[in-house]
Parts: sequence; C-alpha cells; structure tokens
Amino acid sequence: MKLGLIGLGGMGRPMGEHLLAAGHELMVWSRRPDAADDLLALGASRVASPKEMAAGCEIVCTNVTGSADVIELSEQLGEGLAPDSIHVDFSTIAPTIARGLSTQYAARSRHFVDAPVSGGTAGAQAATLSIMWGGQPALAERLDPVFRCLGKTIVRVGDAGAGQVAKACNQLVMVTAIEACSEAARFAQAAGIDFGKVRKAMLGGSAGSRVLDFFGGKMAADDFVPGVEARLHHKDFVMVMDEATRLGMPLVVAGAVMQQLDALMAAGWGTQDTSRLLSVLERCGEYP
Amino acid sequence: MQIGFIGLGLMGRPMALNLSKAGHTLHLWARRPASLDPFKAVDAKVHASPAEVARNAEIVFTIVADAPDVQAVALGGNGVAAGAKPGLIVVDMSTINPNAAREIGASLAAKGIEFVDAPVSGGEVGAISAALTIMVGAKPEVFEKVKPLFEKMGKSVTLIGDIGAGQVAKACNQILTGVTVAAVAEAFNFAAKNGADVAKVREALLGGFAYSRILENHGQRMLDRNFKPGFKAWMHQKDLRIVMEEAHRLGLMLPAAAATAQLFNAIVGSGMGEDDSVAALKLLEKLSTPV
Repeated sequence: MKLGLIGLGGMGRPMGEHLLAAGHELMVWSRRPDAADDLLALGASRVASPKEMAAGCEIVCTNVTGSADVIELSEQLGEGLAPDSIHVDFSTIAPTIARGLSTQYAARSRHFVDAPVSGGTAGAQAATLSIMWGGQPALAERLDPVFRCLGKTIVRVGDAGAGQVAKACNQLVMVTAIEACSEAARFAQAAGIDFGKVRKAMLGGSAGSRVLDFFGGKMAADDFVPGVEARLHHKDFVMVMDEATRLGMPLVVAGAVMQQLDALMAAGWGTQDTSRLLSVLERCGEYP
Repeated sequence: MQIGFIGLGLMGRPMALNLSKAGHTLHLWARRPASLDPFKAVDAKVHASPAEVARNAEIVFTIVADAPDVQAVALGGNGVAAGAKPGLIVVDMSTINPNAAREIGASLAAKGIEFVDAPVSGGEVGAISAALTIMVGAKPEVFEKVKPLFEKMGKSVTLIGDIGAGQVAKACNQILTGVTVAAVAEAFNFAAKNGADVAKVREALLGGFAYSRILENHGQRMLDRNFKPGFKAWMHQKDLRIVMEEAHRLGLMLPAAAATAQLFNAIVGSGMGEDDSVAALKLLEKLSTPV
C-alpha cells in the first residue's frame, strides 16, 4: 500500500520501520530534515510538503504532539487528499477535536480516523502497541493491514473520537497509577524501608501491575530518563480535565494527580520521566 | 469562684488570666513549671496534680492538645476525677474528636461529674482580648452555670447541643478555616506568579463576595510574610485529622477538606509545623518553583 508518515519522533520512527519491513511504500515528511534520515536509509522516500504526500498516498499517518499540530496538518493535507483516502492520526488529542476533523473530512468524502496508541517507545519498537481507534467500521478492512504492522491489540472502540476517549481513559488509569506508585514509594521511604523490596513483594500480589513494574522499577532505581516525557502526560491530563469540565463530570483522583503533574512541570522535570512524581513528593517533606 | 485551670499554653494562659481578672481564684497544675510564671502576680494557687486542683475547685477548665491528653488529665491516675467533689463540672476547651468527647463525658457522668465540651475559635489574639467564639456541648442547666465564665473569655458563646456538639461545631469551623487558608494561599500564589500586585488583589477582593476574616487577617500576615503563630500548622493538621476520622467513621464525602488535610501534612512534613497555618503559602510557592 502507498502510505505517508508525518511525525518521526520516538514513536513515529520505529512505526515507520515496521511499515517498510512489511513491504509498504512509505513517503515521509518532517519539519527537521534529519529526522527522516533513518527511514530514508531503509527505503522511504521524502516529499517536499504534506500536500505532496496527500496527493500520492491512500493512507496518511500522523503522529505529533497535540490538537493544534493535528489541525495544522489537516489543513495542509486537506487540499491534496484524494477522495476516499484516509488520514489516520496516532497522536493523543481531544476527542472533540477528533470528532470535528472527522466531520470536516466526511463533508469532502475523505476520512479522518483517530487511532491513539499506548505502549510507549518500547511498544512502538517491538510492534506491540495497543491501538484504539474511532471511525467508520467499513474502514477496518483498509486499516487493519497497517495497524497489524504496528501493534498487537487493535480495537475499534466506536465512531469518530472514540479512540481518543479510550486513550483518555488509558491515561487516567496509567498516570494515576504512577502517582499511586510514587505515594507508595514515598510512604515506604518515610518508614525507612527499601521500596525496591516492597515493589518486588507487591509485584506478586494483588497490587501487581505493568505501571508498578516499569515506573516502580525506575523509582526504585532513581532512574528518571524518559520513557515517555512527563510533559506529554501533563498535556494529556490537561486535556482530560478540560473534557471533565466540559461534561460537568467529577474526576476526583485525576484532579489531585493533575496538581502533582503541575508541580512536576513547575520543578522543571517536564522532559524527564513521569516517575519524577516521586520527586514531587520528596519536595513536600523530609522524613527520618 | 474557685476555678481549676489546666493547660496554660498559647490559648490557656490568656483565658485563665481573663478569669482571674474577673475576680475568680485560680487553682493551677502544669506539666512544665515555667507555664506558671505569668500567674505569680495574680490570685492563683499551684497544686501538685489535677486531682488536687479538682479537690479545691467548683469548675475545672482544661485546654490541652488532643483527646488522649484530655483523657489523662480527666480520668488518669491523679486525674481530675480522682479528686472531684460531687457535682464538679469539667469544661474541656481543647479541640478533640466529638466521639472522644462523648466517651469522656460518659465516663465522668458515671462518677457523678458533669462534662462540658467547649472548643474555641479566634486564636491567641481572641484569647487575649476575651473575644473568642465558644461552641458548647452540654446539658442546658450545666451550660447556664458555666455561661458567665465563658463570657469572661469570649464574645460569642453558643450552646450547640448535647455533649459532643461543641466539638462537631469546631470540626465544621476547622473545615472552613483550613480550606479557606489554603484557598487564600492559592489565590495569592496565583496572583504573584501571574505578576499581579498581591496586596492590591487582596484589597479588591475584600470588597467583594470573596471577603472573609481569613482573607483579611491571614491574608495580611501572608503579605507581611509573618509566619509566627497565631495558630500552629501542626494543630490545624491535627484538627483536620479529627475531621477526616469523623468522615471515615460516618462515611462522609469531604473532598476539599481531604485535599487540605494533605496540604497540611506537607506543611508539617516540610518542617513548618511550628509556623502559623499561613505557612501554606510558603509550601505552595516552593512547589511552584523550579528545583
């Protein structure tokens, strides 16, 4: 299939590699030209603009930071996309924005699909991502060959925006669990107990989770090199809280976690790992 | 009247002195002898134990830190109950768990001793100027006997209900004051980080619906960066703990109080427990600033 890919960061680059490995034709475009070098070496071709990419592809994939970036790209692609072609956006953006874009595309007989992913750079590299997508069921047949190159769990959650709702839920559960790990780690530290051992014991019990394993492991090792940069989780949480306010729906625990993420950003740890939530608690008091 | 007074700290000292000024004889006992120094010049007798104090008094006031302290002073070995004459009234002005007050009241009643819970609000300033708010839980006839003495210590004296009801009112008071101190600190930090003149923001807000005595008084102390107590942060932490204990016991949802309780945990954990509650501002400033 003729595919396009925009957004060649920690997630996008390995995803591009898997698409090439599966035999797809891949066009790439990036703001910083050197970001494309690895994929060009593997056989991807460079285009001069998103518009040019749109004209040559059946499916264009984007993987960028936020709602504003996706809106900008949709405007640049919009002109060139052929009728019935698909823009699949893997970014994490607001469900309302995804719904709006889907409506705009549909009015011109093009398709916008929201397909945010979970699994981090490790999942992108291993092609074991969880892909949660929203859009017309009829598109599944054309999307599945692409999705199957990238992830292990592929779920069509519902219509446009549904993927982003699922991703918001994913972030709620995950980041809240990271905060819970931080609090457990700090609680153990305050009692003079090695969190590494506490974590090891917990992993075998009812509190065992992927977050406790991965982020808890980073906390026990004082390793704050990202994984996913904390500023991205912060951005996702801002979006979730906006959505909660729009709906008039209380997210009690998430509201508290949002504040801890704000304090993390204030401390200047936005480009480090979200396990820095532990350091935020360390700033809140010293214990024997 | 012969009045016993136990607990001569920041609050108790000026309260006892106000009773003395009204012409009553004080009977005192203190763990730390230094607490007794301010009473050398007044009509006060020092005793060796709370039981001794009770033996010489018609009414014994206590104002100590927490429920176990009240329990020990009232019912412990050589406690007030051990020396009480029939009909003695024990008036506890500490802030403790309402349920603990009810239990202490029941234990004393079994020994023929009347109990009144009468926690106060108004801080050290209110104690010195005899302007405290006193919230009382008692039998009405017992309240009437103590009321003239309350009026020497406070300006607003209210019988809320039966024993324990004073502590319920105080818990409500601490929810409002704790959450409001936190809210004023958050608003001031918000204004400062946005480059606004905090003093002007406060001045403007005082004229509107956000007016409160806390915005006025605690707000001024925040502006002056005066963190001297007033009311110590660790005591506010304790009071919010009492509030949350009751919430857990009754299955009550108190999300704002719960968040504020965590803020006070952090204030105390950061070594600012001996500061005034307005230290909340210092903590918020620190946590809003790069490492």
